[in-house]
Amino acid sequence: MSAPLLKIEELHVGFRGADGIVEAVRGIDFSVASGEVVGIVGESGSGKSLSMLAVMRLLGATARITGGRVVFDGEDLLAASEARMREIRGRDIAMVFQDPQSSLNPALSIGRQVIDVVRAHRPVSTSEARRLAIQALERVGIGEASRRLEAYPHEFSGGMRQRALIAMAIACRPRLLIADEPTTALDVTVQAQIVDLIAELRRDLGLAVIFISHNLQLVAEIVDRVVVMYGGKVVEDGSAADIEHAARHPYTRLLKACVPSLQGPLGPLAAIEGAPPRLGRMPPGCPFAPRCPQAVGVCGREMPALVTDAARRIACWRPQ
Amino acid sequence: MFRLLAGRFLASLGTLFFVGLVLFALTRAGPGSPARIVLGADATSDQIAQFEQANGLDRPFLEQYVVWLCDVLRGDLGKSFVTGRDVAGEIADALPVTLSIVLFAFAIALVVGLGIGISAALRPGRLFASVTRLGVVLGLSIPAFWLGIVLIRFVAVDLRWLPPGGYAPLSAGLTAHLQTIAMPAISLAVYYIAVLARMTAASLQDALRGDYVRTARAMGLSSPRIVAYALLNALPPVVNLAALSFGYMFGWALIIEQVFNIPGLSRALLNAISQRDFLLLQGIVFLFTAIFVIANLGADLVNRVLDPRQRSAA
Amino acid sequence: MSRLAQLVRTADWTGWLGATIVLVMMGAAVAAPLIAPYDPVAISIEHRLSAPGAEHWLGTDQAGRDVLSRIIYGARASLAVGIGAVIIGALLGVSAGLFAAYAGGLGDQITMRIVDGVASIPLLVWAIAIVGVLGVGPVTIGSLQLPNEVKIVTLVGCLFSPVFARVTYAVAKRIVGADYVKARYLQGASHWQIVLGEVLPNCLSPIIVQATLLVAIGIVIEASISFVGLGVQPPQPSWGTMLSDARNALYSGEWWLPVFPGLAISVTVIGFNLLGDAVRDLFDPRNEARTLVA
Repeated sequence: MSAPLLKIEELHVGFRGADGIVEAVRGIDFSVASGEVVGIVGESGSGKSLSMLAVMRLLGATARITGGRVVFDGEDLLAASEARMREIRGRDIAMVFQDPQSSLNPALSIGRQVIDVVRAHRPVSTSEARRLAIQALERVGIGEASRRLEAYPHEFSGGMRQRALIAMAIACRPRLLIADEPTTALDVTVQAQIVDLIAELRRDLGLAVIFISHNLQLVAEIVDRVVVMYGGKVVEDGSAADIEHAARHPYTRLLKACVPSLQGPLGPLAAIEGAPPRLGRMPPGCPFAPRCPQAVGVCGREMPALVTDAARRIACWRPQ
Repeated sequence: MFRLLAGRFLASLGTLFFVGLVLFALTRAGPGSPARIVLGADATSDQIAQFEQANGLDRPFLEQYVVWLCDVLRGDLGKSFVTGRDVAGEIADALPVTLSIVLFAFAIALVVGLGIGISAALRPGRLFASVTRLGVVLGLSIPAFWLGIVLIRFVAVDLRWLPPGGYAPLSAGLTAHLQTIAMPAISLAVYYIAVLARMTAASLQDALRGDYVRTARAMGLSSPRIVAYALLNALPPVVNLAALSFGYMFGWALIIEQVFNIPGLSRALLNAISQRDFLLLQGIVFLFTAIFVIANLGADLVNRVLDPRQRSAA
Repeated sequence: MSRLAQLVRTADWTGWLGATIVLVMMGAAVAAPLIAPYDPVAISIEHRLSAPGAEHWLGTDQAGRDVLSRIIYGARASLAVGIGAVIIGALLGVSAGLFAAYAGGLGDQITMRIVDGVASIPLLVWAIAIVGVLGVGPVTIGSLQLPNEVKIVTLVGCLFSPVFARVTYAVAKRIVGADYVKARYLQGASHWQIVLGEVLPNCLSPIIVQATLLVAIGIVIEASISFVGLGVQPPQPSWGTMLSDARNALYSGEWWLPVFPGLAISVTVIGFNLLGDAVRDLFDPRNEARTLVA
């Protein structure tokens, strides 16, 4: 088996709080192979976005990486210099974020912003950069790209803005695209379009994709594998098919049960009892134990290790 | 955009019209007639009457105003009662002097103010921030004319580095010119350095928190380019403030000129007042008002033009 | 009241410094006759131009008048003009802003255009021109004789009003459009009740911020106008006229003549600026009050 494109080992990310460091990502492991699409699913506060920001070394002033390794294509990203990270960002690994409205510079045209990304990584002429920008915009489905270059972000619809951001991300043909809730701020119809776009780009460009979402059903469509996070830890990691039909962690099963079905008799909506754990107030054992209907004594006392079972990994004392 | 600007513009025109009227009324309502000053204390009432008739001062007030307004619109500001020269000529002599000080002060305020503001926003160190805050408070609070006096005392009298007053025009040589306008311009600029630095720092800090900055970093753009990205969004309120400041500077320049004995518009104005030289007085005050109005309109215009959202939204 | 106490507790030390300075200056102005060691206009030729010492803490001027006493009394003119102008400006401006925001339509347009017009008048030039033309003598209203400063206060007050009008208008416009105001109206509240009960209280915070900062500007205006001889008339002491007199001392050694009055102005203005900033941080963190420049 060839080496994975991205390998994350025991990554810890914490915030500097009033009394010391508060951990939000408490030791996660997973890897992404070349060309693979991995979905990271979890509630707000599960640490999914933060861990990806850590991979990109884009954490703000208050958060810091407190442990672990991140290896991308054989290179240790946590040891890389800031200058090296600048080379990698946008060129080898690209990231798009949740809110396309605020993620684009309102004072510059779309074309200018795409061109700037191209020229940051490739020493090309202005006209060549322009051509590449047009190519990128067309690839993400923005028609009349050469005219659209001059347009400003406020002249675009939400979906088109997100496409423009994706264009910026893939303009330099990165190996890995990290999409942090790219559809959450968009209308439902547009959500499907963006998801399809990402699938298409993966096919055409051989991109590996990490798709972060709180919506399991949305990612199930295009991912090869699903990583489920809760309370700053990975609780389940399996192929899309496995998670779809035979999820084993109680949390994953409950998540799936939450999605209302249009078939069958009407009934009360399912929800998971309780609330997500607060940072700094994590229970000593499994983070999901307080809300888990399957929990027993050991669940609240000891953290279950991530155990590999066939092609799947699961961290639970009582997998179903 | 244009509708709002047109509204503001019309309001400004209305101001000019109205304040012109007020000015006119006051000059003629106030005590003392130019006749006495020009002709001397022992002028006979016949001579006074003749003077007044010759200068149209005996006509009904409103008629005088309309006549003057029409003249102004034609570019004729009238003739000074005292010197007989064109008011426009008198102003044209004094204006470049005042303008040289204001322009120099404005340039200093822009360069230093923006420079300090940008550094303060990019360097969040606590010591630097405290020092800058202190500097801003001092700059805002120390009256410009007192600063001028203090500078004269220390720089001109004690250290003898610069002349204590007076004015050397450009024609007398660049060095000499700069030597005479340096202290006045610095005194005038300090307040606006503080104002612009504070606004720039706040605006840039705000812009740097924008999500598009995060995107730019994620795409691997260089630090200078990221700052430029943020600056583009941070500048409109700063430029707006700068335009307003330019207008205000003209007013304060009058006081500074008096401190440094500079023969600019302040001298012309004060002379016109003491000699009841109505037309010159009106001309100067009208000029100042026009400059101020244009500066304000310019500030508004800047706001509309620099923000692409406002450009096409209108 | 407890919210106020809570806010006060979190205030920066600079705010407290500002408040202290303001209170001291205002106290000095009010209690001048009690605390000034000498009569500020008492001439004493044999003591003229004495350096600061035990007898005269801040020295004496060319006419032998005690500098410290003149500075204490000078606070009256500066604060009277600064605060007076702000009061007049606030009364005029807030009324205009409330009216425009509440009336809406044509009344709104006309009022705010007038406000724009007044805001287009350059303050200092006009102050100089008007006082210059009217003369620096006292103002006679009926049997009342008011000093020259009244002209300045009135004029500066009128020219300060657009600031208040615009701030009030911005906040009031938002509130007037709010649903709960419409609900009050439907409940039968009268126009006055709504304006004074709902709209105005929400405008107060930015108004107070603006007022504090404008006092600082008003003080400098008073000093500047007195400096060119068009403000407080001698022998009444004013920090501005003291500086004007001190110009002759620039070439001789009497450093105390230009330094202390200027310090007085600077410190007072610093006080109001620090207080205004602190008040803004407490009451108006979203900065409804615009950035002030003059």
